[in-house]
Amino acid sequence: MSGLGVDYPFVLLFLVLALAPFARSALRPSSISSLTAAPPDLLSRVLDSGLTTCGVIAIAASLLGASRPFLAGAEIERIGEGAQIAILIDRSGSMNETFAGKTPAGGEESKTAASKTILRRFVDDRHHDIIGVAAFSTQPMLVTPLSDHLAATKAAIDAIDRPGLDYTNIGRGLAMALAMVKAGEADRSRAVLLVSDGAGVIDPKLQDDLRADLAKMNVNLYWLFLRTAGSPSIYDRPEGDDTPQAAPERHLDLFFKSLNTPYRAFEAESPEATQEALRQIDRLERRPVRYFEKEPRTEMSAAFILLGLFAACLLLAAKFAEIRLVPGKAKP
Amino acid sequence: MRPDFYDFRLWLLIGAVLLLAAAFAAPRWTLMRDGYDVLVIVDVTGSMNTRDYSAEGRPVSRLEFVKSALREAIADLPCPSRVALGVFSERRPFLLFEPIDACANYAPLEGSIAALDWRMAWEGDSHIAAGLFRAIDMARELNADLMFLTDGQEAPPLPASGGPPFEGRRGEVRGLIVGVGGYELSPIPKYDDNGREVGFLRVDDVPHENRFGLPPRGAEEREGYNARNAPFGAAAAVGVEHLSSVREPYLQSLAATTGLEYAHLVDAPRLVKSYTDAATARPRRAEFDLRPSLGAAAGVLLFALYAAPTHFKLPSVRKPWRKRTATAQPWRRK
Repeated sequence: MSGLGVDYPFVLLFLVLALAPFARSALRPSSISSLTAAPPDLLSRVLDSGLTTCGVIAIAASLLGASRPFLAGAEIERIGEGAQIAILIDRSGSMNETFAGKTPAGGEESKTAASKTILRRFVDDRHHDIIGVAAFSTQPMLVTPLSDHLAATKAAIDAIDRPGLDYTNIGRGLAMALAMVKAGEADRSRAVLLVSDGAGVIDPKLQDDLRADLAKMNVNLYWLFLRTAGSPSIYDRPEGDDTPQAAPERHLDLFFKSLNTPYRAFEAESPEATQEALRQIDRLERRPVRYFEKEPRTEMSAAFILLGLFAACLLLAAKFAEIRLVPGKAKP
Repeated sequence: MRPDFYDFRLWLLIGAVLLLAAAFAAPRWTLMRDGYDVLVIVDVTGSMNTRDYSAEGRPVSRLEFVKSALREAIADLPCPSRVALGVFSERRPFLLFEPIDACANYAPLEGSIAALDWRMAWEGDSHIAAGLFRAIDMARELNADLMFLTDGQEAPPLPASGGPPFEGRRGEVRGLIVGVGGYELSPIPKYDDNGREVGFLRVDDVPHENRFGLPPRGAEEREGYNARNAPFGAAAAVGVEHLSSVREPYLQSLAATTGLEYAHLVDAPRLVKSYTDAATARPRRAEFDLRPSLGAAAGVLLFALYAAPTHFKLPSVRKPWRKRTATAQPWRRK
């Protein structure tokens, strides 16, 4: 949509002041007793209406310039790549360790520090996305709602390498992420990106709720599993009992697979693998979406100010051209 | 053909031309404006659910009131201001996001504030002094001032030996402790495991005395005292910890220890006022569009050019010229 607009509409109310030149003249009064004393003169009349017009234009253009008029940029429909992504980040204490399961020392990077840089880059590459961030440990927390404000999303990602909290309550976190993307626009593709270094047991009632929620929505689920060296992979069968308590990661993966939802898991054991996984997600989440891009608006203040200046200069010239009417010497 | 410099309307016109020329030549002016960098930490522990504020005639919980006041206050901060948000529970603050420009990102910021909830609390305890000291550290790291909103109710109560010592430098971080809650004791809502409200906390739901560490002085006088088996006496202490009011003297003492200011939360304008008084203003570059003011001033001068009385002249200082004009107007001498 394009159109004219002003930033300060109340200034336009004063545009009536621009009618003043019709009522009075800016020029010096002359002591001539009657206008009929001078013969009608086309040039004078043209000059007179010209000066009046100049006055009207000068006042009106100054005020219009002051109201900051603009021509709104047209919204152009484009086909691009984009999605609504809820990034769900595990903030349990173990995320602050390195991939080797140690406290970072020297040049080592913790899992959160590594994912921070990589997630930042991921967000940077996705200009047309609507991204929100949620965190979870014992409880889920909404950090920033879905928005296209990249700066806010990045500020939320910057905060993830601070000391984490206690546990990994993945079920509630997922419920929150789903609620976030559910509230977004319906015609965009939706994705939940879960970044965690472990899994917990989701209680059966919550599992049913999640299943029901996911069945109603069209969401792509990605799990970026930051695997600590030596810990079980999501594909390993435990040696003893194969229960969710013994192998929560494997069972979370099985739960995700049992859903009728597009799902992919990425197991990353190093910062490089994490980056590769995110690159793949980036590629997968590039389906065409329609979006509207606003062209920058055209400011018109300067043009009006220039017009006002021009008209005022003409008036000034007229003012400088004023002469005193001196009666000629009476002819004998 | 000589302009009449005593005609003040000429000067109006010259003024208007100069203003318009200035607006055209230098439309913007860069100036320094005071902004604020603030780390907002909101207490989300159980006692913040106490409904002792009212909005539109209905009782609202402290947390709800804090949220609406914050949204309004952040919108009222002068424009180059940056805001970081965190929640407090247990004994530490949890940072949700690092400082962001509050003007450019107001929408997500408002969404984050709206989403603050007592369910975010990862533990039920509320060690306020410990949380405040860590929040001060966090604000120093972020190079921001602190706004810590809490009702000051330590849960469990502080041990007889007092709270944790403050190890930072007093006054190194500036900011405001905001006391939230009414001055009267009010019941604290109680929630079950599924987050449903089930009445209020009762006397025997909460500890009224901290039994860690050494017993307080005079414990030997208590009934059933036994130095080894019952150093705090035999009877459970009974107090008013199941009720809540803003613990103003305690928060004021914390403010005095840490060099922060203290203010009671009344409404958003007063919150902004107390905060801006307590915090460091950080001058930042801001662009200021001069065209509206210059253009409007030129418009007014031009209007005056037409509306002004036509015969008014500036007082003359140059007598000889006046004399000459007088001689040049012979008909006036009649």
